[in-house]
Amino acid sequence: MASQRNKALYAKIADALENPDRSRALNRCMQRGRDNRSRAISALPDGLEFRNRVKAIKDRCTEQQESLLEKFVVTARERGAKVFLARDGAAAIDYVLELARARNAKSVAKSKSLTTEEIDINDPLLDAGLRVVETDLGELILQLAHERPYHLVFPSVHKMAADVAEIFAKETGQTIPPDIPSIMKVVRAYLRPIFLNADIGMTGANIGVAESGTIVIETNEGNGRLVSSIGDCHVCVMGVEKIVDTFEDALELVLAHPVSASGQLPTTYVTWMGGRSPLGAGEGKAPRESHIIILDNGRAAMRDDPGMREALNCIRCGACMNICPTYSVVGGHTFGYIYPGPIGIPWTAGVHGLEKAGDFAALCISCGLCKEICPAKIDMPMMIAEVKHRDACVHGHSRSEQTMMAADDFARLGSALAPFANRTLKNPLARKAMASILGVDERRNLPPFAKESFTRWFSRRTSRNEGAAHRVAFFVDVFANYNRPDLGVAVVDRLEALGCEVVLPEQKSSGYPYVAYGDLDRAREVAAYNVARFAPCAEQGCDIVAIEPTAAYCLRETYPKLLHHSRKSLLVSDHSYELFAYLNLREGGAAASDDRLRGKRFGFHVSCHQRPLGSGRDAQEWLRRRGADVTLIETGTCCGMGGTFGLKAGPLGYDLSKAAGESLCAMFLEAGVDAIVTESSVCAIQLREGTGLPVFHPLELVAGPPFE
Amino acid sequence: MHAPMNDSGHQDVVSAFAERYHALAGFAHVVQNPAEAGAKAGQILREAGATLAAMAGLPEDLVDPIVQGLAGAGIDCDSGPFPSVELPGRIDRASAGITGADFAIAQSGTLVEVATNDAVRLVSSLPRTHIGIVRARDIVPRFDDAAPRLREIFNAHGGGCTVSFISGPSRTGDIELKLTLGVHGPEIAHAIVIADGER
Repeated sequence: MASQRNKALYAKIADALENPDRSRALNRCMQRGRDNRSRAISALPDGLEFRNRVKAIKDRCTEQQESLLEKFVVTARERGAKVFLARDGAAAIDYVLELARARNAKSVAKSKSLTTEEIDINDPLLDAGLRVVETDLGELILQLAHERPYHLVFPSVHKMAADVAEIFAKETGQTIPPDIPSIMKVVRAYLRPIFLNADIGMTGANIGVAESGTIVIETNEGNGRLVSSIGDCHVCVMGVEKIVDTFEDALELVLAHPVSASGQLPTTYVTWMGGRSPLGAGEGKAPRESHIIILDNGRAAMRDDPGMREALNCIRCGACMNICPTYSVVGGHTFGYIYPGPIGIPWTAGVHGLEKAGDFAALCISCGLCKEICPAKIDMPMMIAEVKHRDACVHGHSRSEQTMMAADDFARLGSALAPFANRTLKNPLARKAMASILGVDERRNLPPFAKESFTRWFSRRTSRNEGAAHRVAFFVDVFANYNRPDLGVAVVDRLEALGCEVVLPEQKSSGYPYVAYGDLDRAREVAAYNVARFAPCAEQGCDIVAIEPTAAYCLRETYPKLLHHSRKSLLVSDHSYELFAYLNLREGGAAASDDRLRGKRFGFHVSCHQRPLGSGRDAQEWLRRRGADVTLIETGTCCGMGGTFGLKAGPLGYDLSKAAGESLCAMFLEAGVDAIVTESSVCAIQLREGTGLPVFHPLELVAGPPFE
Repeated sequence: MHAPMNDSGHQDVVSAFAERYHALAGFAHVVQNPAEAGAKAGQILREAGATLAAMAGLPEDLVDPIVQGLAGAGIDCDSGPFPSVELPGRIDRASAGITGADFAIAQSGTLVEVATNDAVRLVSSLPRTHIGIVRARDIVPRFDDAAPRLREIFNAHGGGCTVSFISGPSRTGDIELKLTLGVHGPEIAHAIVIADGER
C-alpha cells in the first residue's frame, strides 16, 4: 500500500531507529543548541522581543524586494563590485565558470554558503578542473565525506570527534587522536596553504545592505575573513531575499541569527564588505575584483505565492531543527533534501520543487514548535500543511492519514457501539486487522469509549445559572466527548460552581488532523463550521472554553489563519480560553487546598500546542493553589506523540513517535514523581506507555476518587 | 559622532566591554597611555612566546609606543608598508598581529576594525595571537550604536572598504557543538583599552 516514495522514507526512518546511539547523540546536540539559545535570550534586555522586530524587518523587505534589489545593485556597483542577477543555479554556475576561465584560476577556497549548496556549484567547478575546497570545518568534513549538510548551522553535527579524526587521518595520512584539540591542529595546518594560495575566494552572504551596497558575512571560525581577504578575486553568491534596507535592519539580524543558532551575541566575526579593498599599500597595491551573484532560483515565485512567501523571512539560524522532535531522531539527511529540517520543507518546495519536498514532508508531526522558536516567527506548520496539501492533491493521502483525519467519525461510531468497540480495542486479532486496514498501530493502548457521549448527557440535563453574568460556550472536542465524558461533566460542574451558565453550541471536533496531514479544504470547512456556530455566542458576550489544548490552539491560532483572518474568526479567537486560564480568571485566586493532593509529587507535561497559549502555567497554578506539589518537567521539545501521529502504524507513526519521546520519558522517570499531569489526551497516552507512571488530567486529581 | 559621555559613565562602558570580552574567552586590559599599551603588548607577546609581530591599521601616534614596547620585550616588529607581492606570506610568518580598532561595542565585547587595505585584515586574521587596541572614548555602549557609525564609515569611503566586527578568538562548534578556539584565525585574542583620551 505504501508508495515507492513512502517505502524509501520508511527505510531511512528504520535505519535511524536501528541506530539509537546516533539518534541520542544528535538529540543531545539539539538539546545543547536549545539550552544555549535559552541562556543567550535570558541575557537580552528585552528577551524575546527581537522576534517581533525581525519579523517586521523581513516582512517589510520582502514587500519592497524589487526596489531594494535595484537599490543594492546601484550602490554595490558604485563601490566597484560587479553584480550579476542569476535567474537560476545554472546561470550562476556559468558565470563563475566563465570568470574562472577568464582569470585562468586553478583553485577556489569557499566559506560556508547554503546558497551554493542549493545550486550544487562544487561539482561543475571540479569538473572544469578547479580545486574547490570548503574551509568551514563542518562543510569541509562533509566535502571529504561526500555528504550533504545535516543541519543548517552545524552541517556535520552527526559526525562525532572520532568520525572526524578518521576523516582527516584518511585525507592527510597522519595519525590523529580522536579529541577535538588534536583535530583542530591538523585542520589548521591542512587549510592554511589552501587559504594562502587560492585564486578565487567564494562566500555566501548572510545579509545584503541596500543603502550601502554592502554584504555581511557572519562566521565564527574566521574562514570567511580569510577567504575574502586573500586572493585577487572574491565571489559572493547571495539569495535575493537576503537584501535588507538599512544598517539598522542588518544589525538586528546580526544579533537575532546567532542568538537563535548558537546562543551567541553576535558571531565572533561579522564582516561588512563594501566593494573590494586593495591588498597592499602605496605603489605596491594591487587591484582586486569583487563579484556579487544575486540568485533568484524560484524565490520570485515564492514571493508571489501567499502560501510560501513567509519562507523568505528565514534567516537560516537552524533553531527550527534544534527543536523539531522528529528531526532530532532521523537527522537532516532523512529530514531534508538540501535544505534540512522544518524550514527545509517549504524551501525545498520553492527551490527544488514540490515533489522533492513531498518526499520528506510527512516527517513533520505538526507540533508547531518550530513556529514558537523561529526568530522571524515564520508560520512553518501552516506552510508545511500547505506543502502536504499540494502534495496530496497529486499523490493522495495514506490509509493511516485518512483514518486519523476521520478520527471524529470513528470515535462517534465507537461510542455508539461502546461495549463492542471496547472489546475490539482489546482484541489482538482485531487490532492486527485495524493496523492493516486502518493504519492504527496495534501496540498503542487506545482509550475505551464511553457508552453515553458528553453531548448526549448535556442534552438531557437541565441547565443551571440561566441568565448569569458569565456565559460559557464549551468546546468539548473528541476525547472529552466520546472517551471521557466525565471530564466534560467535571468542567460543567466547575464552571457552574463558579456561577457561570454553560451552553454547548453545535460543533464538530477541532479538525486539526486535517492541518497536520494536509487537507486544507476540509480543515477550512471545519473551521468555518465551528466559527459560524461560536461567533454568535461571542457576539452575545459569551466566553469560549476548550478543554483540549489542541482545540484551544485551533480556536485561538489556527482558525483565523485558515479563514484568512475573517472578522468572525478573530472574534472567536479573542473570546477563547484554555480551560484553566478561564477557571483561574473566575476563581480570582481563591481555592481551598485539597487533601487528595497532599503528599504526592506531580510532574507536569506541557503539550506543544499550549506553548503559544501560556505553556500550561494556568493548570499548574490552579493545582498549586490547591496545595499540589507540581514540577514542570520538559526537554523543550515534544513528547513525540504529535497529536494523532503516534497512533499511526509503523515507522512513520508509532516507531518514530516512541523514539522522539524517549528523552522526555526518561526525564520523568529520573525526576521520581508519583504521577504525571497533562491536559492533552494524546500526550497522556504516550507518557503512560513511555514511563509506566499514572497520568492524569488536572481535573481528575481533584474531581475523581483520591489517587493511590 | 556619538554623544560624549562623562567620566564615570565611560568607566562603566569600559568595564562592561572588558567583562563581555572576557566572557567570549578573550583577554581585556585597561592601560593609561600609549606607552603602557606598548609595554602591555610586549608583555603579552613575550608570555605567548611570540617572536615576530605584524602591525597594521594603528593610528600614527600609537605606532612608536607599540614598537618600543615590543622592542623592550625583545620582540621583532613588522609594521609595513606591505606591498601586495609579498602578501599574504609576509604576514603569515608573524606569530602575532596587532591592529587598531576604530571603535568597540561594550554590549557585545566587539572590536570594530575598518580596513581600506586588506593587509589590515590579514594581520588580524592570520597569526595565532591577535591584539586589538582601542581608545576608551571609542567604546560605544550598545550594539545598536554601531548603525550610525557604520553609515558614517561607508559614506566616508566611497570605494572598497571592509568593516570587521571581532568578538574574541576564532571559534567553532562544528564537532559535537562543543566550543573550540582557534580553528583558522587567532586562538588567543587580547584587547588593550587605552583610557587616556583627549577629554
